[in-house]
This record gives sequence, C-alpha cells and structure tokens, in this order.
Amino acid sequence: MRAAQPARWRETAGLLLLLLPGLGLIVLFIGTVISMAVAQSVGYFNFSGPSGFTLDFWHKQLTSPILRTSVLYSLKIATISAILSVALAYPLALWLRKPFPGSGAISALLKAPMMVPGLVAAFLLVNVIAFHGIINETLLGLGITSKPLRMQNDRFGFAVIFLQVWKQLPFALLLLSAAVQSIHDDLLNAARDLGAGALARFRKIVLPLTLKSMQAALIIIFIGAAGDYSFQVVAGPTRSSSLAQHMYTVQREFGQWNEAAVVAIVLMAIALTGSILLAAASQLAVSWGKK
Amino acid sequence: MRNKPLQVILFALLAIVFFLWLFVPFAMALLWSLVDPDKPWSYPDLFPQKLSFRRWGDMWLTTSLPAAIGNSYLLAPVVAFLTLLLAAPTAYAFGRIPFRGKAVAQMLSLLPLVLPSFIIALFFTSLLYKLGIYNKFAGIVLGHVVLFLPYAIRILTVSFSQVRQDLIDAARDLGASPWARFSAAYLPVLRPGILAALIIVFIQSIEEFAIAFVLGSPDFTTVPTILYSYLGYNFVRPNAAVVSLVLVVPNVILMLVFERLLKSEGAAVSGGKG
Amino acid sequence: MLKHTILAAITAAFLASPSHAADDLLSKPWDDVVAQAKQEGEVVWYNWFLQPRFRELTKGFEDKYGIKVTIPDGTVDGNFSKFLAERDRAEGDIDVMSVPGDRLAQFEPATYFMGPLDPIPGFDKRRTKINGGDGKNYAVAYWGNQTGLAYDPTQLDEAKLPQSFEELNAWIAENPQAFAFNDPRGGGAGSAFIQSAVVNTSTPDDIKGANFQPSWDWFAANSENYGFTSSNADSLTRLNGGEFQLVAAWEDHLAGLQQKGEVDKRMKFYIPKFGMPGGGNAVGIPANAKHKAAALVFLEWLTSAETQDLFAKEMGSSPVNSDAKGVPGGVPAEQRAYATDWLPIETTNAVKAQFIEKVVLSQ
Repeated sequence: MRAAQPARWRETAGLLLLLLPGLGLIVLFIGTVISMAVAQSVGYFNFSGPSGFTLDFWHKQLTSPILRTSVLYSLKIATISAILSVALAYPLALWLRKPFPGSGAISALLKAPMMVPGLVAAFLLVNVIAFHGIINETLLGLGITSKPLRMQNDRFGFAVIFLQVWKQLPFALLLLSAAVQSIHDDLLNAARDLGAGALARFRKIVLPLTLKSMQAALIIIFIGAAGDYSFQVVAGPTRSSSLAQHMYTVQREFGQWNEAAVVAIVLMAIALTGSILLAAASQLAVSWGKK
Repeated sequence: MRNKPLQVILFALLAIVFFLWLFVPFAMALLWSLVDPDKPWSYPDLFPQKLSFRRWGDMWLTTSLPAAIGNSYLLAPVVAFLTLLLAAPTAYAFGRIPFRGKAVAQMLSLLPLVLPSFIIALFFTSLLYKLGIYNKFAGIVLGHVVLFLPYAIRILTVSFSQVRQDLIDAARDLGASPWARFSAAYLPVLRPGILAALIIVFIQSIEEFAIAFVLGSPDFTTVPTILYSYLGYNFVRPNAAVVSLVLVVPNVILMLVFERLLKSEGAAVSGGKG
Repeated sequence: MLKHTILAAITAAFLASPSHAADDLLSKPWDDVVAQAKQEGEVVWYNWFLQPRFRELTKGFEDKYGIKVTIPDGTVDGNFSKFLAERDRAEGDIDVMSVPGDRLAQFEPATYFMGPLDPIPGFDKRRTKINGGDGKNYAVAYWGNQTGLAYDPTQLDEAKLPQSFEELNAWIAENPQAFAFNDPRGGGAGSAFIQSAVVNTSTPDDIKGANFQPSWDWFAANSENYGFTSSNADSLTRLNGGEFQLVAAWEDHLAGLQQKGEVDKRMKFYIPKFGMPGGGNAVGIPANAKHKAAALVFLEWLTSAETQDLFAKEMGSSPVNSDAKGVPGGVPAEQRAYATDWLPIETTNAVKAQFIEKVVLSQ
C-alpha cells in the first residue's frame, strides 16, 4: 500500500490540473466578485457616503416583510416553472427520439422561443392577453364573454410561469433530447417484450437513464426563474414582488446599494440551495418510481 | 402501423400547440414590426391600419444594428468554443473521477449562474478593468466565458458520465491510439452534449447585456444594447419586434443545422449507466 | 483573521477613491477651454433616451465648434452601471453623463464629477437642483419635463376633465377602471400621481411627520375604481389600446412615443388644477473623462438658453435655463402654473416605500 502514496499525490495533482481551467476560473473570478458583493453588503463600496463595517443593512433587510414574501414568491415561481418545463419536455423528447420526416424541423421550431429575448416574449404575451387583445376579442366575438377580461398581471403569477415555461422548455428539451437519444433501443425493446407498458418503461428505464440530464435542466431553469426580473415587471402580479424585483427596487428607487447587495446575496443563496434541493428531490422521486 | 389513431391525435394536438405556442406569438411580432410609423396601431382597430417595411428599413439604416449583429455573431462562436474547451477538463473530472468534495465543487461551479446582473455589471466589469483588460472584445469574451462555464460543465459532466468504461477498455486493449480511442469510445456519446452546450452558451452570449454593454460601449455595440434601448424608457414595441425577429431568423437556421449535426450520427452507443 | 485580510485586500484594491489630479481646466479663461476642446475634437455623451433625435439636434453643436458628438445606445441602468464600474479607470469612455434628477441623491456628485462648474459663463442662469436631487454645482439640469394626465379625447368628454382632486374622486367613482396610474417602481409618472394624491389627502403636518395614512386609506377605499399598471410605458400602451381613458404620464414621454408611432397622435395631455410635479435630468462630467474640455463646452451648449428653447420646441421638454423664453407646444401656458415641485427626496422616498408596502403588496 505504501507504493500507492506517490500515485495518489500524482492523481491529486492531475485532478487539480483538470479542474483549473473550468472550476478554477470560476472560483477565481466569481469568488472575487461575490466577496465584493459581500463587502458591499456590510457597508463597503458605499456610493453615497463613507464606507465602513456595519451590519445595519443586513438587519434592515432581514427584518423586512417584503424580503420574506419575495423569497416565498420567487421559490414558488421557480419550482413550478422548473417542474412544468421538464414535465412537458419529456413527452416531446421521447416523441422526437426516432427521426421521422420533418422531425428535425419540428425540433428546431420548438426551440425557437429560447432565441426570443425575455422582455420581447413578455410584451408579446401581454399583447395577446390585453384588454382588447386577440383572446378577449375572440371571446367577445364568439359571445362567450360580454365584456373583456382583465388578464394582465394576474394575482397568482400564471403569466410569469407561462413565460418561464415558454422560454425554458426548449432548454429542457435540448438536454433531454440528447439524453433520450442515447438510450439504447435494445433496452426499451427488451422491456416491451417483457410486457412493460409505456408508463412502466418511462419510470423504470427512461427516467433513471436520463436523471442526470433532467437534474441539469431543473437546476438551470430553477436558477433562471428564481432570479427573474423582466417577466415579473411586465407580466407578474402587482401584489407580489420577486426577489430580483425587490433587489432592483431597493437599489434603483431608493439608491440603497448596500441593502441591494444584501438582497443579492440572499437571492444567490436561495437560487443555489433551492436548485440543489430540487435536484435531490428529483433523484429521490426517480429512485422511488423505479421500484 | 401500430398506434395509428394515437399518432393522429398526437399530430392534431401538436398542430394546436404549435399554433398557440409558436405561430401566434411570432405572427404578432411580425405584425407589430410591420406597423407603419405614421399610423400607430391603436384601439379600436383590430389590426394595424397600414402595414409597411419602413421600420425594418429605419432600424437597419439609422441604428448600429448591422454592426451590432456582426459583433454579436463574431463574439458568440468564440465564446462558445472557448467555454467548451475550458469546461471539458472539469467536466471530465466531475463525470469520471470519484474524489472527495465533488458535491461541493459541483455546487461551486454553478455560482456564475446565480450572480444577479447588477453585481455583474458593477463588480465583475470593474474587476476586469482592474486587471487591465481594456481590449473590449477580449474583455467581453473573458467575462462571457466565466459566466457561461456552468452550462457547459453541467452538460458535459452528464455526457462524460455516460461514456462506457468497457468501450474505452476494449479500444485500449485493441491498441488504439489516444485519438482513435477518443473518437470511438467518447465522441459518439459526447456529441449531443457538446452540441447542446455550444448552442446554449452561444445563445446566452448573444443575449447577455450587462458585461457587453459596460465593457463594450460606445464602440463595440452588441444586439441587446439596441434591443434594450427600445424596450426601456422609450418602449417602442414595433422597433423591438424588428430587432427580435432579426435575431430569431438566423438562430432558427442555426438550430436546423444543429439538428442535422445531431442526427447525422444518430442514436448509436451507450446503454448508459444508472 | 483570514477574512479580515481578504477584506482589507479587496478594500485596498477596489475602494481607492478616484485620485484624479485637481483639474486646472476650470480655472482657465473660457476661450482657452474652447480652444482645447476643438483640439480634443470629440465628445461622448451617455444619454439614455431619444438618442436618435438628440443625434440630429446636436448637429448644431458639431457645426459650431467642429467637435464630433457621439451618443451611444444604452439604458438608464446600463449607463449608470458603466459610470460606476469605470470610475477607477484612468480614462473612461464617458465624457458627459446624463443622470435622472432624483438619482443625484444616490451617489456623491462631488466625488464622481469634475467641478464645481460655476466658471461656465452664465452659470447662474442654470439649475443644479432638479427632480428632488441636487447636483451641488457638479451637475447641471439639461432636461425639464412635466407629469400630468394623458387622455383619449375620443373616449371621454374633454369638457369634463377632472381638475380638482374632488372632481377626480367623483370621476373615478362614475367611471370605474377608466383611470390608471403606474407602480412607482415602473417610473416617475406613477410616483408623481401618488405624491399629488398624498398632498391632496394628507395634511401638511402629517406629511412632515411621514404619516400618510389618510392617503393610504384613500387608495384602499378607491381600489376598485382605479387601474394599476406596471410602468410609465404600460399606462400609455393601455391608453392606446383602449383599456383606459385617463392615465398619469410624462408629457415628453407621450410626445416621444407619438413621434415614434407607438401611441396614436390623437392622445392628449393636461396638467390638472390639483397639481402634478415637474421633474428633469442633469448632466455632469465624470472626473476621469477623456475629453474634458470638449465635455465642458458641450455641457455649456446643452444647457444654454438657445439649446433649451430648441429642445422645448422640437421635443416637448420644459426649459431649465432662466434665460430661455420658449413655451413648449401642446399644453397651454396657464396650465404650467399647476406644475408643482417634488416633495423633498426623503419625503418622496418615504411616500414610495410606504405606498409599496401598505398599498401595493398588502392587498
């Protein structure tokens, strides 16, 4: 076993070398940037007065009821959006698994929304659901309603969730398509021959084999939705505030950069832990479903 | 063949979804982009009174849109390839080498994704300035690479973990050169992940505003700068519609090419490991 | 311990305040400044709105001095981030920086801008306090604008436009959901209306003590009668879309959107007798500007009486140079008398914060 020691040392060095260009770069740059944000949250980088250590900004924000409700609202939107996007992407990915005439074009078109910038998507949706938008005019024209419905800025956040799914579903589809395509046909055929139904094949073969891709999709979508600002300000409920919206309100409307940094750190922590918990939960669900 | 009715229902359903999901929004965008500047689209008109291509012409001629498109499409591929190259070793380690603290390392690798844009705009850019990176292109490339590494790392990690050890061993036992081993055992499994990572990073780079604006302005303009100029204080929907359609078209073509690449060496290898 | 060291290192590296040598440019005779400006030959002005129009109107400056003006595309927050991020560079990209008046209170103008600017000829005709903020002689107002109510004359009776606050109260009860104002987080028009409502429903003593409860009660009691939009632009868009008939708006914003063909030209604007505040923006010269002399000459031109008259005539702004005589088109002169000042910045912020907490998020 003694001989293993130098080998282990070399292994560690090799590992570090591998991690250096990717993770190393991230830790170096983002680590610095985050420590600057932390420094600002405790009173440094004060643009409108003297800088110096203080926990006042943390105290002010952590006791603010708006921060609490914003955290809950953002968690709600992010969780629902991530799960819904992935749930809708699976059937599509499976359907497009085997090439058929036109499948490439369909797949490319389905991914078009990810190319539309968020703010543009938001204004398109708001146009469609506007007071005299096409949905209301159609309903009126068909005599289904007698006066236009006010759908803009609905109280729950359906519009925001819709926009998130519209924009993020393609990312999920992209990742899941790749995963689903690498499942070997023999495996699925064998399962079918053994009498497994479509749902059983999905639970016992597809889900476990694509779990990692699904987790990647969940994490990416959750983080994006948790930090959403542009959908929320255009189409979100006016009675709720997302974390990013709260952060920018504190910063832009009141010029409290240091407090905004506090909210930023809370936002980063929530997005990171939330996404990882969601990934862990999906792992549990899949292994439970396998049984 | 089997399940004919199901196939038909699926197609019908899909047609409806396509209509609501894709046709309506893009048709609306197109319609807005064609609203003539002299005849605004206002209540009670159900449709614009007058359509023209004037806004397309105006946007092309009076803004720096052509230059911005050139810049964005020069920037994005460079960022995508560099990100991929730098992410690959880390993804290999995450996907194939067991080590202590991997979970923490993987979590750390997600950090750029959670960075709010004002922190990026203020601190990341001033950090780059501090490092003396005044070349606008290089600065933006570096910034984008660091910001978008997590996507590539995540996706490639999954791909690397799906490469089958028995194939690698077999290739080695047969005395294949490193390149032959790579192209036989790794590449087919990695290909979809590589393409997915390239596309996602490409699109993120095209859309990124904070770094590209703070470092690039005024001489290196990218598309989001123009887009956000029309979606901000002066919210001019028709002009924003023009810019976003200009963006969508080349990207959809890109997706088509991508689909072709993905299909060409189709569903081949890997029963995967759980 | 390690934490402290890291913090200290970061502080040292990033907090060093800009140490630009005190500029002797401001003590030179104006003719020398102009000569140096011509030598510099160009100036970059970061302004976040109506850039295409400003590019045309600054041609007059280019012709007069032979100095090229560049006005990059950008947003108010983008520009502001760049301004803050660049402050430690020896030479930045920004020569002249536009700032919304109320944001002057969000940073220390004297640390970021070159100045004081009073050596500029005719400086006393210019304004440094605007929109509740104060440029403290380091930033000067170049754009004045007015809030009021925009309306669709084809949807409501112009003769019965609500003038007093009681009339507005009655009007919204009679026409529920026909009037709207925006979330103060989405722009100043909403903030302006909320302030007017506060001034009209709370006593001056209450306002001084930051007690606006009577006003919040008014908003709660009328919540079914008014619409609440997400931004300045959203209000005007929905006025244009026929959903509302009367909305709180900025005069110059409406004019700009009408010119761009986003909002129909039939929409009109008035300042009600119950009073709505006027606001504006200021410019300063970043301490690390590359073309300082050209920036100084440009700033002089931008805030001069002639240019202010030009902007008023061409773009519907309110002049901010006391020598300017132009009356902006559209709104009759007697309505200008109903323009009020913003409440002091602390009161404005208190109104906004309480409104968000007690009216917006609590229902």
